[in-house]
Amino acid sequence: MTLLLDIATSAAILFIVATGLLTIFGVLKIINFAHGAWLTVGAYCAVAVGQAGLNPWLALPVAFIAGSVLGLLTERFIVRPLYSRPLDAILATWGLGIVIGQLITLGFGRDVQFTANLIPGTMDILGTSYSAYRIFALVAAVVLGLGFSLLMEGTRLGLSARAVIMNETLARGLGLDTAKIRTVTFMIGTGLAGLAGVLLTPLTSVDPTMGVAWLVGSFMLVMVAGQSFGALALACLLLGGAQVIVSTYISPILGGVTVAVLAAVILRISPKGFARA
Amino acid sequence: MTLTAAVPVARRARLLWILAAAAVLLVVFGPYVLDRFALNVLTRAMIFAILAITVDLLWGFTGILTFGQAAFFGVGAYATAMLLTHVGSSPLMLALAVPVAILVPMILGAAVGWLTFYPGSSDFYATIISLVVPIVITQLIYSGGTLTGSSSGLVGYWGLPLGLEGFFRLAGLCLVAVALAALIFVRSDAGRVLTAIRNNETRCAYLGINTQRIKIALTAALAGVTGLAGYLYANASGVVAPENAGFVFGTELVIWTALGGRGTIIGPVLGAIGIGYLSAQLSGDLPFLWQLLIGSLFVVMIIFLPNGLAALATGFRQSRRAAVVPDLVARPVQRKAHRGDAPLLDIEKLEKSYGSHKVLEDITLSVRPGELVSLVGPNGAGKTTLMRCMTDGAAASGGIVRINGESIAGMLPNDIVARGIGRKFQVASVFESLTVAECLRMARTSLDAPSFVTVSDTLGLSQSAIDILKLTGLDKMLDAPVSLLSHGQKQSLELAMVVALEPELILLDEPTAGLTKTERTTIGAVLKTLTAERGMAAILVEHDLDFVRDISSRIVVLHQGRLVLDGTVGEVVNSDIVKKIYSGGHHG
Amino acid sequence: MDEMTELRTAKLALEGVSSGYGNVEIIKDLTLDIRPGEVFALMGKNGMGKTTLLKTIMGLLPLRQGRILLDADPAGKLGPKDMVRARVAYAPQDQPLFQDLTIRDNLRLALPSDKALAEGLEHVYGHFPFLKERLGQRAGTLSGGEQKMLIIARALMTRPSLLLIDEISEGLQPTVIDRIASALKDERESRGTTILIIEQNLSFVLGIADRWAVLKLGVIDDAGQVGPDTQAQIIEHLSI
Repeated sequence: MTLLLDIATSAAILFIVATGLLTIFGVLKIINFAHGAWLTVGAYCAVAVGQAGLNPWLALPVAFIAGSVLGLLTERFIVRPLYSRPLDAILATWGLGIVIGQLITLGFGRDVQFTANLIPGTMDILGTSYSAYRIFALVAAVVLGLGFSLLMEGTRLGLSARAVIMNETLARGLGLDTAKIRTVTFMIGTGLAGLAGVLLTPLTSVDPTMGVAWLVGSFMLVMVAGQSFGALALACLLLGGAQVIVSTYISPILGGVTVAVLAAVILRISPKGFARA
Repeated sequence: MTLTAAVPVARRARLLWILAAAAVLLVVFGPYVLDRFALNVLTRAMIFAILAITVDLLWGFTGILTFGQAAFFGVGAYATAMLLTHVGSSPLMLALAVPVAILVPMILGAAVGWLTFYPGSSDFYATIISLVVPIVITQLIYSGGTLTGSSSGLVGYWGLPLGLEGFFRLAGLCLVAVALAALIFVRSDAGRVLTAIRNNETRCAYLGINTQRIKIALTAALAGVTGLAGYLYANASGVVAPENAGFVFGTELVIWTALGGRGTIIGPVLGAIGIGYLSAQLSGDLPFLWQLLIGSLFVVMIIFLPNGLAALATGFRQSRRAAVVPDLVARPVQRKAHRGDAPLLDIEKLEKSYGSHKVLEDITLSVRPGELVSLVGPNGAGKTTLMRCMTDGAAASGGIVRINGESIAGMLPNDIVARGIGRKFQVASVFESLTVAECLRMARTSLDAPSFVTVSDTLGLSQSAIDILKLTGLDKMLDAPVSLLSHGQKQSLELAMVVALEPELILLDEPTAGLTKTERTTIGAVLKTLTAERGMAAILVEHDLDFVRDISSRIVVLHQGRLVLDGTVGEVVNSDIVKKIYSGGHHG
Repeated sequence: MDEMTELRTAKLALEGVSSGYGNVEIIKDLTLDIRPGEVFALMGKNGMGKTTLLKTIMGLLPLRQGRILLDADPAGKLGPKDMVRARVAYAPQDQPLFQDLTIRDNLRLALPSDKALAEGLEHVYGHFPFLKERLGQRAGTLSGGEQKMLIIARALMTRPSLLLIDEISEGLQPTVIDRIASALKDERESRGTTILIIEQNLSFVLGIADRWAVLKLGVIDDAGQVGPDTQAQIIEHLSI
């Protein structure tokens, strides 16, 4: 039972972390290597909210806003000139990640920070005592997934974004403002990354380099998932599940590379990943 | 057209050796003026500069963005340290560690290359793998227990007994040797192949070059060089740690290469040494600010100056390379023995569909030497698709395509080209960052193996190819960068490249699109000579029906994926069915 | 005059227009006047620049030289967004539909906002009633003829004053061609929509056009009023 819960909640956490990256990759075909930095920014929003003595839940909207405002600037000044050079976009956003990491270090120091746990303690699930926060993360992932599909399927913005993903030339020919759609998508992606950063705080230590470890995992999952959120959920469940199983039964250290290795193998066999599924 | 930037080749080569000699002197006498701190820092930086050269060869020249060089470095360093720690340090072991530190990363590099570069693999995939490899290696190091020293690494083994000055000189000499070899290689005829791959990999494949194999070999060879740097590092620093193999270190290598100037060899060397030295000097005083500065500079450079500081130093010149003007030499055509009068190309019941949508259906067609067959039909009739099915063994969904009696099913474009098919694309597919002569030499790569060291001063081509160059005036522009050619000149160049392959059958997709009247006439005359006099066969997709009428020996009409007519020019021109198709009245 | 019957017409003038891709100039110094409310048929063999011309008018390709005037306003330098706002609609030939979106969403995307959606839908049902029952169906599941009708319907959603159509009849049954022809005729007659249409099917296009021109290598080769001899005259240009 604990194993099942571990698998489900680990997959949920991976999903939360990777959505922001997928949003951007799906519409803009750009890999935002500053994703790790945005997670860190989100986590430090939680630290700042805590230091200011405010309600820790307030960190969620703060991080989303901080993330999207920074995203707006990034899209406008760094990513926009690089749409035709996707490999350079990886590098430029990685450089931006370094800059953000150093700015955070300057502001908060390089020490590990602690934040209030949003939901402390454990709860009973069918007779198993389990971390209440991890259960909450599972719920949060489902809410996020549903909320996002509602946004994509139910709103005009989502429709426009899907139109740009499917056929950008046609979208332009119909008069859609593709530049604006890109900007807004980027902002949502970075906002979600900030949000994910807050949600990570109870699970991991907060320091200026915390994002890097999560970046690689999310990157692999997004590559496997392609452009679909359903595929991302599936990838998180399968690869995250494999990670939990390897960590539990073989070695936690090998568990750490499970996602990366499986992703590489899956992409070698099927270069489009789960996108066709 | 003259190139003001061109420096005579001999003078450039001399300059290179003078620079190398100066570098050797610096390295040998450096320890007399530098303090211990500087020696230490610079030794490290010079070892890292060797890595930056390998990153530059992969990324700057070949276009493979890699974070993985750190992993090969780590493997080389750990192989050395593990051997010296666990087997013991002796002169024999120190000597043995050299081939081990080179071979183990090379084998790993070959395996990674094989995994990464397969037909149709994407640039992104190579980058993904280059992230996975260092992560896996680092985790293996962490889980290695006492064997690898886990997170604290290995320390306390006895390396080469050289002392600070000795290591400085050794690292410096190795760096000079690697840099010199790299510079000679990238300027050689073989080295230009890397640039050609980065520029236009599809064209390389259609010139019969197996790009996957070249990339795998390059990855393996550079992994070996990187492993040697690892050996030096393990000896000079006396400690190896998991971070040495990590992907963050891999990204630093890319940053140094980018800041120094990708695609220049010297730039990345200076980038690695400069940043390494300044970091050590400044990070004590302003630790975070320094990183911040490097990061910001990197972002700005990638956006505004993607070719790095070296590009700034050379003043944005189009081509800094000494452009060699080789002499054109006619080479006899190495024609393969032709089997009787069997058709060159034989297509039987070919079919191509995307899902339920059939683009081509029941196409049966054969072409013999000396024929010039035009393929006509309205838009969407399937002409370009048919061309693709003849040059890519994976394209067709049904039926058989045979070349000289051999089925091409499953063959890659470069295999098919090796069997005597040349393909000219609709949009001129040439190499934008090479010169005219270099493009033509690429076409000969599969026939005359290029030198890894020198730039040949002759260019051997078939007489037909030389004729095309003369007719179009390209023979006077051999040193011109392709990026400066007009659209028509690029079309002619591509045709000359394809003819230089000495194909038995040449496929041309709209060779006259966007050309002037004179250019059309020239290309028409060339095609007629090639087929009627030199015995080549040609298949031509063309919309300009006047042109088709003038030069074809046979016309094949495609309509809605089916072959509706196959006959002489007279038969097709006068057929009612063709008139109907072109006035939109015919429905399949 | 209410929204539905309001006259929507535009005059399009091209003055010395050049455009192309990369360093290839496909349209060369082209001058063409299209009068308000007329149907103008543009013909020519493939690769002669017809699609390039429409894309340039729509603002999808940069105008290199010359001027494009919509009524008296300079266009062509504007982006496609502004052209749509100026009531220009474009029915492209290449990948003209979002295959994985529903019919409703395909139609919806033609409008800048959902405000006028119901009204626009009512308008296109008038021409193609089958769309009404199948709004939720994916465009990719429609038959070839239905897809073509959807493309025209989408272009009519904004009730445009200028309609640009690229090769709509290719591979269609005569009955479908008739339905499209009558929709276009009706739009022009009831609201004065100006139509610039590229076509290979002469009997279809000459049935609705007022004037015609043949494009060759980026310039107008021949032009005239549509009359009884037009078809023979054009076949001369197009045949082998």
